[in-house]
Amino acid sequence: MAYLSLSSISKQFANAYAVQDFNLDIDKGEFISFLGPSGCGKTTTLRMVAGFEIPTSGTINLDGKDITNKAPNQRNVGMIFQAYALFPNMTVTQNIGFGLRIRKEPEAAIKERVQEMISLIHLEKHADKYPYQLSGGQQQRVSLARALAIRPDVLLLDEPLSALDAKIRISLRAEIRAIQKRLGITAIFVTHDQEEALSISDRIVVMNEGNMEQVGTPFEIYNFPKTQFVANFVGSLNNAEAEVVDPANGILSMDGVHFKTADAEMANRSKGDKIRISIRPERFSFAVEPLKDNVVDCIIENITFLGSVVRIQISIGKTKFNMDTFNNPFLDLPAIGAKEKVMCSKEAVLVLESA
Amino acid sequence: MKRGTILWSWFWMILGILYFFLPLLATFIFSLKAELGHFGFKAYENVFTDPKFQTSFPASVIWAVLTIIVGILLFVPTAYLVRLRLPQARATIELITLVPFVVPAIVYVFGLVGTYSHPPLLIVDSPALLVAGYTVLSMPYMYRAIDTGLRAIDVRTLTEAAQSLGANWGTILFRVILPNIRVSILSGAFLSFAIVMGEYTLAQYLAKPAFAPYIALLIQNKAYEPAAATIISFALIWACMGIIQVVGGGEQGQVAGGH
Repeated sequence: MAYLSLSSISKQFANAYAVQDFNLDIDKGEFISFLGPSGCGKTTTLRMVAGFEIPTSGTINLDGKDITNKAPNQRNVGMIFQAYALFPNMTVTQNIGFGLRIRKEPEAAIKERVQEMISLIHLEKHADKYPYQLSGGQQQRVSLARALAIRPDVLLLDEPLSALDAKIRISLRAEIRAIQKRLGITAIFVTHDQEEALSISDRIVVMNEGNMEQVGTPFEIYNFPKTQFVANFVGSLNNAEAEVVDPANGILSMDGVHFKTADAEMANRSKGDKIRISIRPERFSFAVEPLKDNVVDCIIENITFLGSVVRIQISIGKTKFNMDTFNNPFLDLPAIGAKEKVMCSKEAVLVLESA
Repeated sequence: MKRGTILWSWFWMILGILYFFLPLLATFIFSLKAELGHFGFKAYENVFTDPKFQTSFPASVIWAVLTIIVGILLFVPTAYLVRLRLPQARATIELITLVPFVVPAIVYVFGLVGTYSHPPLLIVDSPALLVAGYTVLSMPYMYRAIDTGLRAIDVRTLTEAAQSLGANWGTILFRVILPNIRVSILSGAFLSFAIVMGEYTLAQYLAKPAFAPYIALLIQNKAYEPAAATIISFALIWACMGIIQVVGGGEQGQVAGGH
């Protein structure tokens, strides 16, 4: 039985549904990310788990108990906000001890737990400082410690890294994940940043317009997107129109150039069907193995350095594709306008929906 | 900045200062002339030893303190709930808070007397009606000061953070919200204090002892003492403002930096 279960959850504001028929089972100790663009319903779903929004329909069960209509202060759910939400009138120590004081725990136990939490976030030297005396990253670590101090049943993180700069964001997300694993706490993380979701999660729920598009491990979501939306939203993607030539053998044609795909979706197509194919930029490479499935001629259109990656724009027939390759100082890049052969495996060619 | 612009700036500033301070200075000098032939504080001595002053001044202080308490209890939860739950009602509430500026005090006091001098609401003699009246008159200052304080903090997120940690509404209001708008409350409280100390109409027509009617009485019967009482009144208000500055200056950074 799932530790946290959201069954047929919907939330309606005025005449519009923010979340529609959302079903998800989360195991104890699992780290789940809700990923999607602004307005997709991810934060509303999180707020329903926290108790700040009551679902229009559906139920939320936590550890076998129905908490759908429970007040937020009765749920024992820790929450971390994008804006840190530290109490400005309290020091780091007082902020972390706030929830424990509400629970009227003995003073000695509060002191011990607060010390434990301060050590966990490595802010021993800042224990007596006020929030305004801390950096954004430090404030968010205090917020994490404050949420964990009450030993919550679930930890909810509402875009906690969005307000931080890139380097702090990367180090703090690793810290959050390490702490979550060490404590074995169940966590839901809301983000619109795909890299964040891919790097931190056990499973990702990709959401769009109030609906769940796909649930899976980061590996599944990235490599086997089930819908065009997931494929486009997670990572970069090349899209092109093609025509089915031989559905049994997975052969399709794009501007007369034949491609082979291993996508099971081809079984549902007939010869002559117009389809849309997608190929990740990193699945292309310059052809050094002529016997590979898809070896095609291309023209180099443009080359862009993106740091660790070099993005090469190529045209195959009339269609332009992006191709990513790792940068290294000895990379022998072709000249712009040069004719080259590129290849990709048949597994790299995804058939997502009809054109 | 051009030299001419600077000179004009100084000119208008000095003119403004003279406009406000010359009458006050004249009143102060006049208040020192109670004894023939030399300057002295005789008028002040007369005011402080006057039994009517000793009755009316503490009475006004009590009315002011009660008004502040009622105002805080009434306006803090109202402004908090409007910000948190009824943001669409903010414009209406703000309009209501401006009513005391539009309705003259004399109209207001006759409305109070007319409404509350018949059973079952026969409370026209009760000090509670005077305090309630003062609370309404001080509403524009008190409510707006509190609302400004709430605007400076992220009320919704702080409330939700406290709720997720197990806090109930009372705890949130008294341990999270109030301490973070303390300076604003203090500012509204001192403005209310100044309003009550200087308000004449309500106390006069509800027949309660108060400082402003006492000054009016002095004006009718004495020459130098009203000037002394006026200076005392100004000194009191400035002392209040000074306290706001001192207390407020130390708190601003802490609150502003916290979100």
